[in-house]
Amino acid sequence: MKPRRWACSERLAHAARALAACLLLLALGPRDAGAAAIEPSQARVITAADAVPPADDDPRWKAVALPDAQPADFVWYRIEFEVTKPVAGAAWMVYLPYLYGGGSLWLNGEPAGAVPESTSTLRVRWERPLLLPLAPTQLRAGRNVLHLRAASAHLPAGAGAPRLAIGTQEELQPQFDRRLLMVRTVPLVTVLAGSVAALLVLFIWWRRRQEILYGLFGLAALLWALRTTTFVFDAMPMQWWPLWRMLYHASTGGFVIVMALFALSLAGGMRRGIAVALACYGLLGPVTYLFAGDRADTLVGRYWSAGLIPIGLSVAVLSFVAVWRQRTLGTAMIALAVTLAFAAGVHDYLVAWRSPWLESLLPRWSDHRLFLLHHAANLLLIVMGAQLTSRFVRTLHGLEEANRTLEARVAEREHELAGNYQRITTLQREQAVTQERQRIMQDLHDGLGSQLFTSLSRAERGALDNAAMAESLRHSIDEMRLAIEALASDERDFRTAFGNFCFRWEPRLREAGIVPTWSIDVPDAVLAVPPHDALQLLRIAQEALTNVLKHAQAGRVRVSLQHDGDRLVLEVRDDGRGQVAPRSAAGRGQANMQSRARRLGAELDIGDAAPGLRVRLVMPGTASA
Amino acid sequence: MSTSVLIVEDEPEFLRRFSEAVLADGGLRLIGAVSTGAAGLALLDAQPPDVMLVDLGLPDMDGVALIRHAARHQPACDALVVTMFADDSHVMASLEAGATGYLLKDASIERIAAAVHELHAGGSPISPSIARRVLARFRVAPLPPPQPAPPQPSLLSERETEILRLVAKGFSFDTVGELLRISPHTVVTHVKKIYRKLAVHSRGEAVYEASQMGLL
Repeated sequence: MKPRRWACSERLAHAARALAACLLLLALGPRDAGAAAIEPSQARVITAADAVPPADDDPRWKAVALPDAQPADFVWYRIEFEVTKPVAGAAWMVYLPYLYGGGSLWLNGEPAGAVPESTSTLRVRWERPLLLPLAPTQLRAGRNVLHLRAASAHLPAGAGAPRLAIGTQEELQPQFDRRLLMVRTVPLVTVLAGSVAALLVLFIWWRRRQEILYGLFGLAALLWALRTTTFVFDAMPMQWWPLWRMLYHASTGGFVIVMALFALSLAGGMRRGIAVALACYGLLGPVTYLFAGDRADTLVGRYWSAGLIPIGLSVAVLSFVAVWRQRTLGTAMIALAVTLAFAAGVHDYLVAWRSPWLESLLPRWSDHRLFLLHHAANLLLIVMGAQLTSRFVRTLHGLEEANRTLEARVAEREHELAGNYQRITTLQREQAVTQERQRIMQDLHDGLGSQLFTSLSRAERGALDNAAMAESLRHSIDEMRLAIEALASDERDFRTAFGNFCFRWEPRLREAGIVPTWSIDVPDAVLAVPPHDALQLLRIAQEALTNVLKHAQAGRVRVSLQHDGDRLVLEVRDDGRGQVAPRSAAGRGQANMQSRARRLGAELDIGDAAPGLRVRLVMPGTASA
Repeated sequence: MSTSVLIVEDEPEFLRRFSEAVLADGGLRLIGAVSTGAAGLALLDAQPPDVMLVDLGLPDMDGVALIRHAARHQPACDALVVTMFADDSHVMASLEAGATGYLLKDASIERIAAAVHELHAGGSPISPSIARRVLARFRVAPLPPPQPAPPQPSLLSERETEILRLVAKGFSFDTVGELLRISPHTVVTHVKKIYRKLAVHSRGEAVYEASQMGLL
């Protein structure tokens, strides 16, 4: 068992080393620029709080390898180095990747530069690199001595020296720039961009509370922006320190917890109990710090933070579960980013607590003391943001699609309604036509039918002579003609029906020696009269003309049709003997006309025209169309 | 010179009535009075009359076919259709086949003779609804003639169109004549020309349709 495990971890170590080399190349750039710089790997150290460097012959100096850290409030380092190149004509500098607790630098016994040290009123966290110029008068060709006074850093407590480098500006500037970018510029951008993104997303969530993922993402971004301020401030006044520190713990824990909730939501495994338990654990660290104060900082930072690692691991596992379930590119990207962030978090934990395991596994990499979580977290936030954005876009597309579908359905429905309306209109029209036909049939039945039956009965009992028979039949034929005329006017233009009527009567009147005059004074538009009404109107005209033909003894007859406004005026005027006896056949005809006019809703006026008779029918409510 | 008349009518009562009307009029000469379409066709070709009185419902053939035959082979012969009710569809079919006038079956004996004289003298009466139909026939007919050159003769002149339009509105021939400053007689002469054009137009259309259908 043991050899195999060993082989396994050996292989892991190889892989880690290869990865670290890649990251180092990425973070620090090609080594050739710094290759010429002097990088002392050995130093001597004294635990002393002296204001000036202790003497070279002080027996307390003891040799250490760089980087180094001592559990003391103040230490002095003595670093010797050889300058083999010409000193003059170049800007010589010393490069320190960090100086956590602050301190000062001396070259050959003279002060060369300083950063603030932690005091009782100020807490220094000098995470960023330093590039201090060395005065040409101080630097000598050959052997030089550099003294570094280092104050204790906050966590882990202790004063230490980084692996520093001495060289010309052009040799050191690139290293300095890259490290500054990594530990200062990127965090600064993270704080600003994270805050802005968080506020935007939280605003969306505020307006749409049901979108819990937006809320979690906004919270995560906000917490991360807060947490990253730890890389942005080099020094913090002591009165603000506890609050800021508590915020650091709260935001670190909060970020991991929110991530866990986000992953749970995404994987569909969100349970109230789990969420509460996670939130309680997230609060545990900051609350402990709040009550126990700085004394608990190590406890919280070391042990409570370590507890976040399994949570982070479960986040990674959950995100892979989500990938398994959903099989989408977005979920896969999130899972990868979460895994990366988890690895970076573990790495940072090990670096922060100077893990001997990491130092032995990746000695050169751990010397640089580069924290990676905020880069990985930035990546994670970008991936999550992209995922949420694509979700948002999908929702919009879905909405648009739904709108389109809705529009199409509305249009379809409108079309159906229009079709239904059309059908109903057609049905109504057909019904009207049918009713109209039935009325005319009824009319024929009552009029023509009864006339034929009466004539038949009279003929059978021999009460009808030839002339009377001919007259009766002619009357029947006229009835039929009228019905045909009234029905045949398909355009429902009464003018045509009336014209046909006149056309038929003209020769008949002339044969009887009566000169007819026809006058039609109707506007050009179609004069729409329903067939049944048309039939009644024509009947009245026919009755009037029959009377003229049979009883009036007239020489001329004038028939006129006028239409003004909505009144139709039909007038038959002869120059015959005028008014007839009511009981005569003509009188019966007139009574017939009166009853027809009443049914039409028209007014019939029969009166003497001196000479002759005037029959005048006024029918209101006929509009030309 | 009297007007020769051929009567084709299957009902003996009306055959007798029409014959009486023709015989009673000194200006008319009866060539034949037959009761079948076949006899009518034979007489028509053997001894072409000036006017042919045709009933549409013959026992052996459609009166319209007889009219079409007359219009094609005896263009000098005027066909006068006898209808019961002067209903539009029968009248239109006859006019399109080449008839130039129509007569109601219950017309008096005098009226029958007068109608024959009028027709032979070059006049045809027209009812408003027929005028409307003729107008529609010319205007609505959507099919263009096969060649653009020959169709002109079958189209109505402006005067003819005007007459049809006025008649369709219900105006009497007297009124139409007054409105157009022509005599009523000229009006009916125009109508007869219109009928001839209608027949030509219809035939042209039939030919066109037949050629479209690959029959010719």
